Amino acid sequence: MTPDEVGARLVELLGDDVTAEVTFGAVTVDVPADRWIEAVSVAASDEQVAADYFDWLSAVDELTDGFSVLVHLWSLTLHHHVLLRTRIPRETAVLPTLIGVFKGASWHERETHEMFGIDFAGHPGLVPLLLPEGFEGHPLRKEFVLASRVAKQWPGAKEPGEHDDGSPSRRRMLPPGVPEPGTWGPE
Amino acid sequence: MGVTPSGEPLLFAPARLPVLSSGEQSIGMEAPAPMRFVLNWGRRYSLWVFNFGLACCAIEFIASSMSQHDFIRLGVIPFAHGPRQADLMVVSGTVTDKMAPAVRRLYEQMPEPKYVISFGACSNCGGPYWDSYSVTKGVDQIIPVDVYVPGCPPRPEALLHGILKLQDKIAGERVPLKPSDKSVRPSAAAFTRPFVSPPQALHDGGTTPVRHKVHGLREPVQLEVAAEVPAEVPAEVPAEPEET
Repeated sequence: MTPDEVGARLVELLGDDVTAEVTFGAVTVDVPADRWIEAVSVAASDEQVAADYFDWLSAVDELTDGFSVLVHLWSLTLHHHVLLRTRIPRETAVLPTLIGVFKGASWHERETHEMFGIDFAGHPGLVPLLLPEGFEGHPLRKEFVLASRVAKQWPGAKEPGEHDDGSPSRRRMLPPGVPEPGTWGPE
Repeated sequence: MGVTPSGEPLLFAPARLPVLSSGEQSIGMEAPAPMRFVLNWGRRYSLWVFNFGLACCAIEFIASSMSQHDFIRLGVIPFAHGPRQADLMVVSGTVTDKMAPAVRRLYEQMPEPKYVISFGACSNCGGPYWDSYSVTKGVDQIIPVDVYVPGCPPRPEALLHGILKLQDKIAGERVPLKPSDKSVRPSAAAFTRPFVSPPQALHDGGTTPVRHKVHGLREPVQLEVAAEVPAEVPAEVPAEPEET
């Protein structure tokens, strides 16, 4: 199936609150968070989609819009793939676990949990997988402060006009991981 | 490259050796120059190397051990079977905070005298990951480093140059006759760790090893031994080509 056909089929199966979008030759299906497990099971079990191979699961920090959680599925028999995406709020970042559908999602959910602080309800053991013991914070959240960048300025130029060399100045930009001056660190 | 340059004083000319006295005075005394030369000469050309390859720099390190660059001609012997047989550790690659305790522990297991070459920008100072949340900003934060080889990654020739620098450093080493302070030497207990036990699952009262329930999510597999093995496997006789 082409990406368009995969998206249309999933929208047909899942209903109107699901949208499909084809970008760069890949289909992304947006599903509401409360139908997350259902959507993944349908994509995995439907005969026409048959996306039965779990590739990866991760998240994107969308700032005030919460988090996007994505799962990438591949069809071993039909050789097409599909991205399923859902959006959860930042304050209550909870999503049901997928390990009832794909057992291999366990490690990916553990990694997403430690990197983004997203809770996966029903997961039997969300212990840190990659970070060293005693690590505080969720480093892939955009509010995570990179102390090195605060202590030492970026050695190169990010924007024209930063170094008063006469080039036109654009808006001031802070690199990710650097808070506004005066809001973080020792007095 | 004569071994005994003519016209210069002999290296092993009879020298007035310092008198060894018993008691406190001998502590901290250095070996006489000929003995020092022989010791350092042996050490610098017999560097059993321990490859701590952590990232792409390890490829360059392996390349310099192969026939094209061949650092065994400098006396660097690849590879020691473990840290306890090694004299030189080459840390090549990105040291992460999670990996740092292992680097430290393996360094401590190496016998004295031991040397460390930090190979590449990442192990020198963090390199391109200087602002990362997970990368150690240089391996010299956890172990002493003798020679830094810059580059991202360095060419194998750079490592050869670093080895030559290290050999120069070893050649100029002072050799104490006795350890100056025995209290700074760590005891054998410092290198011993208890056996690692598998983590227990969180949800069933800790009765099941966690790998069956959480990590692999695979029930323990019972190996089924075939009860009946056919006594005779009929051997397949390949059909012989008919001769015409």
